[in-house]
Amino acid sequence: MIVSFLQQSFLWGLLAVSIPVIVHLLNRRRHRTVQWAAMDFLLKATRESRGRKKLKYIIILTSRALAIAALIFAISRPLLGGFLGWGGAEIDTVILILDRSASMEQLVEGGDKSKRLGAIASVQKSLESLNSRRLILIDSASAIPQNVPSPDALDELSSTSPTDTRASIPSLISTAIDFISENSPGRTEIWVASDLQKSDWAPDQGSWDAIRTGLNDLPQKTTLRVLSMASPIEDNIAISILSSARSNDELVLNLKLTRSDAEGPLSIPITFSVNGTRTADQVTLIGQTYQFQKRLPLGNKEGSGYGFASIPADTNPRDNVSFFAYGDDAPTKTFLVSEGGESATWLTLASVPTGFGRGQCIELMPNKAHEIDWQGAALVIWQAPLPTGPVAQQFSRYIEEGGAAMMLPLRGESDTTFLGMQWGEQSISPQGQYFIVEEWNQNDGPLRNGMEGTTIPLPKLKAIRRKSIVGEATTLASWDDDTPFLVRRIIGDGTAIFITTLPDYSWSNLGDADVLLPTTQRMIKLGDSRFGSAFAAITGSPKSKISSGEIRSRLDTHARSVSSNAPYEAGVWKLGERLLATNRPASEDEWLVLEPNKMESLLEGTHYKLFEDTGNTDSLAREIWQALLIAMLIFLAVEAALCLQPKIKNKKS
Amino acid sequence: MKYDFLDPKALTRLGSIPLEAREAMTGNVAGRHRSPHRGSSVEFAEYRKYVQGDDTRRLDWKAYARSDRYYIKEFEADTNLRAYFVLDASGSMGFSAANDSRIQFARKLAATLSYLIVDQGDAAGLYVCQEKNHIEIPPSRRAAHLNHIFEVLSNTEPVGETGLIDALHAIAEKTSQRALVIILSDLFCDTNALADALQHLRYRKHDIAVFHMLDKQEIEFNFERPHRFVDMEDNTSVVAEPALIAEDYHKAIHDFMQTVQTKCNDVHADYHLITTDQDYEKIIHNFLITRLPKKGKK
Repeated sequence: MIVSFLQQSFLWGLLAVSIPVIVHLLNRRRHRTVQWAAMDFLLKATRESRGRKKLKYIIILTSRALAIAALIFAISRPLLGGFLGWGGAEIDTVILILDRSASMEQLVEGGDKSKRLGAIASVQKSLESLNSRRLILIDSASAIPQNVPSPDALDELSSTSPTDTRASIPSLISTAIDFISENSPGRTEIWVASDLQKSDWAPDQGSWDAIRTGLNDLPQKTTLRVLSMASPIEDNIAISILSSARSNDELVLNLKLTRSDAEGPLSIPITFSVNGTRTADQVTLIGQTYQFQKRLPLGNKEGSGYGFASIPADTNPRDNVSFFAYGDDAPTKTFLVSEGGESATWLTLASVPTGFGRGQCIELMPNKAHEIDWQGAALVIWQAPLPTGPVAQQFSRYIEEGGAAMMLPLRGESDTTFLGMQWGEQSISPQGQYFIVEEWNQNDGPLRNGMEGTTIPLPKLKAIRRKSIVGEATTLASWDDDTPFLVRRIIGDGTAIFITTLPDYSWSNLGDADVLLPTTQRMIKLGDSRFGSAFAAITGSPKSKISSGEIRSRLDTHARSVSSNAPYEAGVWKLGERLLATNRPASEDEWLVLEPNKMESLLEGTHYKLFEDTGNTDSLAREIWQALLIAMLIFLAVEAALCLQPKIKNKKS
Repeated sequence: MKYDFLDPKALTRLGSIPLEAREAMTGNVAGRHRSPHRGSSVEFAEYRKYVQGDDTRRLDWKAYARSDRYYIKEFEADTNLRAYFVLDASGSMGFSAANDSRIQFARKLAATLSYLIVDQGDAAGLYVCQEKNHIEIPPSRRAAHLNHIFEVLSNTEPVGETGLIDALHAIAEKTSQRALVIILSDLFCDTNALADALQHLRYRKHDIAVFHMLDKQEIEFNFERPHRFVDMEDNTSVVAEPALIAEDYHKAIHDFMQTVQTKCNDVHADYHLITTDQDYEKIIHNFLITRLPKKGKK
């Protein structure tokens, strides 16, 4: 428990604590000299008094010193509470960064108040103790600093109400630093009220270096106080719709359930609402997460639609519903830019396998690459010299906007660079030997295992020719000599993979080794999701905001929204002509908490204090001067009792 | 008066009370004190059978007439008293808090009592004991002898460690005749050795009186602030916090006083604990009164 003081200057009075000791020492120095006859008794008494009596005298001195200290502490108006800590009282401005992400709606254990409301209440009490200092609020949804006239108004502002957004704590702290730099608000402290969700704090983000530098470079020492609301999450289940798409007369929903406690199977009722028609289903959840597909009949309804899937109320009401919207069913388009030959045939077959789906593959020569319909492409397969010029720019933009690209080596040589990557030297395996893939990422990427755990038969792949890839990318699969077989670059919302051999008999058996087909189809699905995602957005993302001339109105009947907070709430919206389902980001269902030592490393070298609010305290700080006055009286009483006792005995003797 | 430790008015007032010995004394002349020997005083002692060699003049003829047996009638022998004043002149006797120093108080007691003793026809002597120097004035009944005692008292200054124990043993050894030994000391010495010395005196059948002289300050020890206490006998010093040690000091000195009194009672000594703030005349008065024989008992 840490104590802070409203009148810190009075703490100089603590020097007075030394007065009893100084008086004692001076008295010892200013002794009188007397001739004494009964010396034996004096020496005997001195010897016997060394232990217990000396202790008694030390207690008397200590009591006097403590009485003075208690008085000084009392008039310094101490605040009990770890959040404010030393120096917390003498500040002009408090910048409150309020995490109002979806995870902050988790109810505090044993209470009926969410973490967000608990944090607001604690901050209000602390600000009351600080005698109405200036308060600037930066809420995690809008990230805009705003002046709050009174701490009492905090819980009434729409900018402190619950949202379905995520919180980017690093960028919020950066905003606070910029505010201090630009406005010079005097002695300032930054208070961060957050549940320390790891995804919100993004400890791997490079901006933390800039934050540390920014905090330390501020003209005045600025303390960053973190009010941690990271109490454990219990009895919570989250539902999210991973994708929604129309397939003929059916709506195909891919759903995911996540629960905080993985204790045995759990049957969960799920309510589906499609275009206002509700159906119910029961799902048994085994383990911590469960992904499943739900097909809902659409009947003869043409065009677009929307709805939601919800589960019963639990400890976090914000993650009990997920919304969706869908449009017309349309064939996927794959553009193949190829040098031709056998590999082009295999790639076409892999992208549009006979009897599977309603896909379309358009093959283009490299010099015709500008004809690619970037807006309609689900996947672009590039087996040619890496693009340059305007095509490269369009290709990059396509990927950044969520497109998928599959890059394969050209047969010849080229030194062009794309996305920072470049094809290197071609190598041929020794006679009678093959390049074989031994290790690959089975959990992530296009080579991941299937939903039922089926692995891609990569060991069947045998290559005699390959080309190295140069550049910074994540290796998802490696040849047996540790050189990359498949690497991935994620640019913006899109993904590009680089495969280092060709489905050509003079290169490898990639085409008929049951590797190319799943890889290509998964990349198509990835790229196609951006069309499904035309109807879906993350709450608070730029896409979910209204453009000029658009008017926002809520379509679903799950809940109502206040207009000022609507951009930050999940739901199905009509934004002008657009139909959009917004949901909380998937990261809000990852309940990993930033460890204190990780925070220490993130904020190392800065003035920061971490306080964990258990949710049981009404206030982060309360005045305790009365208790100190009582303590002073107790110390004085002890001193008096110890001093008077011998004199009473004297009289008796 | 030449000596500041003598008060003529006090002498006059105290002169009417005789100093009595509590034990039979062995004097060299007739006096007012009981002797262990049979003598010719008017005080009847006992009858005993005549044995050959007895003085026939002491036969009680009236008893013979009544019983036809020869009895010798014996009477108490009265003799004079020989008093030894043993004055401790160690450094600690110079202690004085607010009143007379202990040595000055002892001078008053010794001088007044010796005057009274000589005045009633008894002999008074003085034994001044210091660590290395003892002054002995044998008892005498002469008035002029008093001047010698007063002179020595006047010139005696307290110094060094005590020689009281040796002095008491020396008196016990040297004085073969029964005497009254009056000790004037603070008795700051080994109490076991003191007990041995008193036993020695008692063994020699001396009547012992002890004036245990302490200062009120020494008993109460009511100092307010730290003091450096310098030993008056060997000049060693110690800085002490009186408030810190007072309780243990009180216990130690009261234990000492209790022990000394017990040791004195063990040898039937006439023990008087006095403090130097008291009126010495009253002390002597009480001393004399308590020594007077009870009615019906000689």
